[in-house]
Amino acid sequence: MKRHGIALAGPLALVLAVFFLAPALLTLPTGFREYVPGQGITAGSWTLDAYRDIVSDDFYREVLWRTLGLGLAVTAICLLLGYPLAWMIARGPAQLRMPLLLLVIFPMMLNLVVRSFGWIALLANRGLINNLLTDLGLIAAPVKMMFNLTGMLVGLVHIYLPFMVLMLVAAIQNVPRDVEAAAMTLGSTRRHVFLAITLPLTAPGILAGSILVFVLTISALVTPRMLGGPTYRVMATLIYDEYMQMLDWPTGSALAFVLTAIALAIIWAANRVARRWAVT
Amino acid sequence: MDAPLAARGCALSALAFERVGKSYGATEVVRDVSLSVAEGEFVALLGPSGCGKTTLLRMVAGLVAPSTGRVLIGAQDVTALSPDKRGVGLVFQSYALFPHLTVFENVAFGLRRQRVSGAVLSERVEAALAMVRLPGLAARRPSELSGGQQQRVAIARAIAPRPRVLLFDEPLSNLDAQLRDEMQIELKRLQRSLGITTLFVTHDQSEALSMADRVCVMAHGVVQQFDTPEAVYHRPATAFVAGFIGRPNRLAGRIAADGRIDLGGGVLLAAGEAGATGTAVEAIIRQEAIAITGDGDGLPGTIVLRAFNGARVQYVVRLAEGVELVAETASSGAHSGLEPGTPVRLAIAPGAVFALPVA
Repeated sequence: MKRHGIALAGPLALVLAVFFLAPALLTLPTGFREYVPGQGITAGSWTLDAYRDIVSDDFYREVLWRTLGLGLAVTAICLLLGYPLAWMIARGPAQLRMPLLLLVIFPMMLNLVVRSFGWIALLANRGLINNLLTDLGLIAAPVKMMFNLTGMLVGLVHIYLPFMVLMLVAAIQNVPRDVEAAAMTLGSTRRHVFLAITLPLTAPGILAGSILVFVLTISALVTPRMLGGPTYRVMATLIYDEYMQMLDWPTGSALAFVLTAIALAIIWAANRVARRWAVT
Repeated sequence: MDAPLAARGCALSALAFERVGKSYGATEVVRDVSLSVAEGEFVALLGPSGCGKTTLLRMVAGLVAPSTGRVLIGAQDVTALSPDKRGVGLVFQSYALFPHLTVFENVAFGLRRQRVSGAVLSERVEAALAMVRLPGLAARRPSELSGGQQQRVAIARAIAPRPRVLLFDEPLSNLDAQLRDEMQIELKRLQRSLGITTLFVTHDQSEALSMADRVCVMAHGVVQQFDTPEAVYHRPATAFVAGFIGRPNRLAGRIAADGRIDLGGGVLLAAGEAGATGTAVEAIIRQEAIAITGDGDGLPGTIVLRAFNGARVQYVVRLAEGVELVAETASSGAHSGLEPGTPVRLAIAPGAVFALPVA
C-alpha cells in the first residue's frame, strides 16, 4: 500500500521538487548575502543583516503586522459572509442551489487583474461610488476607499470568498440531518442545535477554509498592488519592490522566507488542531 | 401486567393521531390516520417501505408537520409544538449519535437541556447506561464503539430524560441477525420495566409481532389493521394484511360454482370467504398453515423439492401441472424426511385461505 502511494504521488512530487521547491530553495542563500547600496551583493559573503533588519526596522515590522492583520480580517469577514451563504446552498431550496453555486464560482473564472480593475472603477476617488454620492449631495469631498485598508479588504474578501464558501458547503452537507434532529428531540432549540451540534461538526471545514483564505491573503500580490497602490504595502508587494525596484535581493529573499515560514507554521498548527478534533 | 393493555380497556390514551394526513405536493404519504395508543403500550407500525410509517413516527417527534389532523400526547395537542418541547425520545435507524461528544455527554445531552447537573446528572447517565447494559464505556467516543454498542448508547440517550413517549425508527435493521434477536428481547424487557408508551417502526413482521402489544399494519399511507399480533396474524382484516404477514403462497385462480377456488388442473381449494362465481382471484395460503398428511383426506400432490433450514423443512409440492405451492413443517416432525417424488396429501383449513379479487 505504502509503496503504491509513493509511486502514484511520484510524478507530481518530482515536478514540484524540480520546478518549485528547488528554485525556491536556491533563493534561500541570497537572504544571507551582504548588500551594498549602489553596488549590489558582495559575492561569497555571509551575514544575518537582512533578517536582523526585518526584526528591528519599524517599517518592516509594520508591514508584517499589517499583512497578518489583513489576513485575519479577510478570513473573519469571509467566514461571517460565507457561512450563511454556504448554509443557503447546502440546506436551502433545491432550485436555489445551482444558481447560488454558479454565482459563487463565476468570479473565479475572471482574471484577477480584471476583477481588481473593476474595484478600482468602483472605489477610486472619481469612481462610480464617489461620483454617485457626490452627485446625490451626500458627500462634499470623495471618500478615500483605495490605497488603504478598506480597498484591500473589499478586494481580497471578494476574491477569496468563493474558497471559503466551497469549503463550508462541503462541511455543512456532511452534517447528518438525523444528528441535528436527535438534538431537537432531546430539547435543543434551533439556536442550541446550531451552537452545540452543527458548529462543532463543521469546525474542521471552518478551519480548512480559514487556513486557505488566510494563507492566500497574506501571499496575495496583484490585488494589494492594484488596490493598495505604491505606498500602502503588504509583505508580497514589499518583496516585489525589494527585488524589482530596490534591487535589494537579500532583503527580498529574507522577507519571502519569513512569510513562507509564517504560512507553514500556520498550516502545521492547523493540522495539529484538526487532528485533535478529528471525528469519524 | 402481561395482558395487553389495550385488552384491559384502558380509556386513557397516551398518544393519539386524529385524522392525520400528510402530502408532499400531489403525493399523499399519510391518509386520514386515526390511532390511539394506551399509556405504557408498545405499538409497532409495520409496513413496506414508503407506506408512511416513518412519516407518522416523525410527526410525533415534531420533525414532520402533518398537513391535516392533530397529534396528541396525553391530553395535550402537540401538532404545532416544536420538537424540543415535546418530551419524546427518538432512536434513529442511523443511531444519529453526536460524534464529537463522549458516550457520557451523548447520554447527558437531554438531561443537561432539562437543567440536570452535578451528581444527579452523572447518576442518571450511569443509570441509563446500566439499563442498556453498557457500563464502563462512558469516556469513549461513538466512533470507538461497535454497531451494537452505538445502538445501546442511542437507546440510553433517548430514555435518560424520561420521555413521555419513546419512538423507534427501524432501530434494529443495521444489526446482524443474532444481535437483532437478542436486542428484540432486551428492548421489550426494557420497555416493560420503564413502562413508557412506545411506538416502534419496522418493516420486519417477526419483529413487530414478537415485540408489540398491538401492531398497526400500514400500506400506501393507510392503516390496514390495528390489532393484537395474534389477530393480525390469524384474522387479517384486509387483503393486504393477508398477503403481507406470514410466508404466503400466491396462486392465481377463479371462484368456482360451488364457492371454492379453482386453481386450474382440477385443483379446487376451499376458502373462508370466496366471492362471486367466476371472479378472478389470487389465493393466499400461508406455508405454515398447510399440514402434510401421509394419507386420507386433502389435496393430493407430489413432493418436487425439499429444503432443510434448521428448525423447519420446506417442500415444494406439485398439485397438478402448473400448480405448485410451498408447505413447511417442523424439521423434527413425522413428515420431515420426504424425498422428491413422494406422493402426499395436503390438509388446508378453509380459514387459512384468503381469496383476493384481482384488480
